[in-house]
Amino acid sequence: MKSIINYIRRDEWSPYVAGALLGVVGILSVWISDSLLGASGAFENLAGMVGDHIAPAKFDNLYFNYIMPPGITWGVYLLVGMFFGGMLGAATSGTLKWGKKSAFNSDEQWKSIFGEQVWKRWVLAFIGAIILEYAAGIAGGCTSGLAISGGMLLAPAAFLFIGGMFASGIVTALVIYRRRY
Amino acid sequence: MSTHVTALVLGVFFGFSLNKAGLTKYHKIVNVFRLTDLAVLKFMMTALVVSMTGVYAMRGLGWVTFPHVPATYIAGNIIGGLIFGVGMALSGYCPGTCAAGSGEGKLDYLIPGLLGFLVGAGIYGLTYQKVFPSISKIANKGSIVIPDAWNISPHLTVLFFALMSLFLFYLIDRVGLHRKESVS
Repeated sequence: MKSIINYIRRDEWSPYVAGALLGVVGILSVWISDSLLGASGAFENLAGMVGDHIAPAKFDNLYFNYIMPPGITWGVYLLVGMFFGGMLGAATSGTLKWGKKSAFNSDEQWKSIFGEQVWKRWVLAFIGAIILEYAAGIAGGCTSGLAISGGMLLAPAAFLFIGGMFASGIVTALVIYRRRY
Repeated sequence: MSTHVTALVLGVFFGFSLNKAGLTKYHKIVNVFRLTDLAVLKFMMTALVVSMTGVYAMRGLGWVTFPHVPATYIAGNIIGGLIFGVGMALSGYCPGTCAAGSGEGKLDYLIPGLLGFLVGAGIYGLTYQKVFPSISKIANKGSIVIPDAWNISPHLTVLFFALMSLFLFYLIDRVGLHRKESVS
């Protein structure tokens, strides 16, 4: 029992143990909720809600009316749960960053490659996030909703997406790390 | 209401697993693309083996029917994946790991990340009609799954995927199939 508690408290688990846990969550999602895990769709629902407030005429289109209607959907609840799941995970290992200086630029490797500047990290992360969400729209989902959820159903879409993601991820890392790759 | 509680609880375990796998760290994501740390790959493939075994066993027993299967439209799935990889290597996260990392209190996840997703989602929704129909009509196969579409036994397909994953894990962990880290 004590060794189990100690394992839970570890900062990092074996990826096999953590992966098996996610696998079980994926099964339960289909079994209990008849739903697939996902993340990018929830941002579409939320963006529709924000859009209705700031530019209702523009957001009154086919996409936000029929394809991804605004609202607090099942996926949004899942996303909120993920937020607290990350919090819980970090709390058990004592690695929460709330209120700490390192919260602004959270990764040592990033700093050693690109420097300490917070603005640089935030600009690249912001651009990266826009690209990620747009790409998830085109592909039909993200790493959660397409790669994991589609993959577990053996949808070819998932494996095409994973192949594309690794190919361009490797090339992009080569370009930005250059000789430090 | 109860379905929303279920979603919250599933989300907590999902985010917890991402945190424990280390996927809420920039370097874990980028290093899988540098091929120096393949934890992301091991995590994803383990999750796939476990979940596909479970859902196909339950479908075989008649306990579940699959929810809406993500559609296969070959060009769009690949092009989307190609663009997605660029964003992932730049930011070091994906939408799910960013949500979990935000909960940990990482402000470079919480602010530029979540804001970026909202902006990206808005731009996508506003340009959807110009972009999506033309890409998704290329080689559109609809909501198919490999065993049904290719008429092969689902159990053999799952077994094949599991054995392939185990072989890959063996190559990575025992044979040492990854690049050595050069960044200190």
